[in-house]
Amino acid sequence: MFARVVILIVGLAAAQAAFAEPYFAVQTGLKCMNCHSNPTGGGIRNAFGRTWSQTVLPSHPIDLDQQSLSGEISRYLSIGTNLRVDGTYLDVPHQPTQNNFDIEEARLYLELTAIPDRLSIYFDQRIAPGGSNNLEAYVRYWSANHLWYVKAGQMYLPYGWRLEDDTAFVREVPGINMFTPDRGVEVGLELGPWDAQFAVSNGTAGAPENDRGKQYSALAQFVQPIWRVGVSANFNDADAGTRRLGGIFAGVRTGPIAWLGEADYVADKSFPDGERKQQVGLLEANWLMRKGHNLKLTAEYFDPDDSVDEDERARYSIVYEHTPIQFVQLRLGARVYDGIPQNDLDNRRFAFLQVNGYF
Amino acid sequence: MRRVLWLSISATLLGCAGNGEGLDANGRPIMSGGPIPLAPTFESIQQNVFTPICTACHAGAAAPVGLRLDEASSYAMLVGTASVEVPAVHRVEPGNPDASYLIQKLEGTAPVGGRMPLGSPPLPQATIDVIRQWITAGAQRAAAATSAAAPATIIGVEPQRDQILDRPPREILLSSDAALDTSALQAGAVTLMRSGGDGSFAEGNEVTIAPLRIDVRSLEPTVIAIEIAPQDWTPDSYRLSVAGAGSIAMSDRSGAAIDGDNDGRAGGDFRMDFEIGRPL
Repeated sequence: MFARVVILIVGLAAAQAAFAEPYFAVQTGLKCMNCHSNPTGGGIRNAFGRTWSQTVLPSHPIDLDQQSLSGEISRYLSIGTNLRVDGTYLDVPHQPTQNNFDIEEARLYLELTAIPDRLSIYFDQRIAPGGSNNLEAYVRYWSANHLWYVKAGQMYLPYGWRLEDDTAFVREVPGINMFTPDRGVEVGLELGPWDAQFAVSNGTAGAPENDRGKQYSALAQFVQPIWRVGVSANFNDADAGTRRLGGIFAGVRTGPIAWLGEADYVADKSFPDGERKQQVGLLEANWLMRKGHNLKLTAEYFDPDDSVDEDERARYSIVYEHTPIQFVQLRLGARVYDGIPQNDLDNRRFAFLQVNGYF
Repeated sequence: MRRVLWLSISATLLGCAGNGEGLDANGRPIMSGGPIPLAPTFESIQQNVFTPICTACHAGAAAPVGLRLDEASSYAMLVGTASVEVPAVHRVEPGNPDASYLIQKLEGTAPVGGRMPLGSPPLPQATIDVIRQWITAGAQRAAAATSAAAPATIIGVEPQRDQILDRPPREILLSSDAALDTSALQAGAVTLMRSGGDGSFAEGNEVTIAPLRIDVRSLEPTVIAIEIAPQDWTPDSYRLSVAGAGSIAMSDRSGAAIDGDNDGRAGGDFRMDFEIGRPL
């Protein structure tokens, strides 16, 4: 326990997190939509986001005299991509260690703009590893004054921090992440420092509707240059059992460190043995050591059933991220899982070296 | 909410994992028996793979591609059931692991989507090999131990009892906790009717749906899939019945009738109502 606290304190005094990109927003004091076409963040970047990622993010950006691929093919067509290639080391107790090179993920983004700044159609396609499958496909309409928008199609739902790491407890346990888009409609408001989204969807994680109940997701946040705080809620009314989520998330910047925190509560009646009430938490510190160098420490907590004692799980991550030039990021990280001793997988150790190519 | 917030923050900071006292490997209180070592049996695979790993996502209402891998649903939703991503391939093809979509997804060779478990380390090949062995051996499931006082019962896996659907189900899946004598299926033991539009099954205007294509997906325990021609589905209330009494009653291998009405005694028809509403 002492060691964990020491690691956490060191991390809090020094750190930055792994795979989570919302810390960029906290570091810069901007909203997700300032860099991404999608108002709720993630996916293809807009003109500002492309410029920022090519000039501000890397430590030694190469001056290409505007000869590099910008992603904006024309005023009406933009493309983007992410490719993450990993070398991993996995140590599960009582099992042989595994060392692998693997493609973690390759995605293609495509945005067709029918009316500039107003009407567009967007696709997010996962193309590797394995076969291709669609994650997002929606049409989005912005009001003339950009105070509200509406999206319809398949999309990621608004809830909590949109972390890049979908295996984080705060994304995996609520089940709202970038593996589980859903089909429906989302309405968003942008009112100065406030923004809010509300979505109605099938509640089937992208599968065809199988009952009459719907899933309702809502998020509201207040953004200031130094700090921000938000609340999110979700209700999935399903025949297989209703599910209620509620959470609060916040971010603050203290000098070179951007902090992210989230706590969520899950009440899930879809388990065969009845309702379970679960709690998850995340605390993440991102230390911008110098331009292009980021160190991230993350501590996470998961209580799978608050009526059962001694079943809690924790996870700790340390990740060093280096962006030497535009379009390339290197990540070196380790994760330690801490769970009940009788479950080997919940006590695994994982290390990785990742190359992330993007534009 | 404030209590939950502070509990979560405190726990996250202090990183207190449980010591697992009194729990099984899945973190559930130990009720009876001990852990089952990984072996090529469904029960072992359920306890060592599906429950601790797969149900992190594949459970409940929002289970990806509608695949629920909890203990009550997994067998019927896997064995002999077409996958959603590649309908021509069964999730588990008894006797043929290479043609089973489950294996293709676990080994990362499926033509659609990512390798399972998504976002987590792949299962050790030794674990996948155990699942392969189970499929090669016929993908059987041991029937629940039943006593003379506990006759065989049936549950509706898909759709579930009283479920309201926006669209017709791909198929109706029934599962028993025992091995049934399936010869009665051809004699008309299973019937499906719709209410005739009034939601009642006592008005005399009910419509019996025929023919039913009945497929026995598994013998032990018995899993039955019922398919209906797409044009026969219409928005209405439906009642599926399985005879538990009379000359065409379904029975277990010893000849004892099923406990269709779930009253703890042999006999009584199994009835499951569901509704297909008008698309929203």
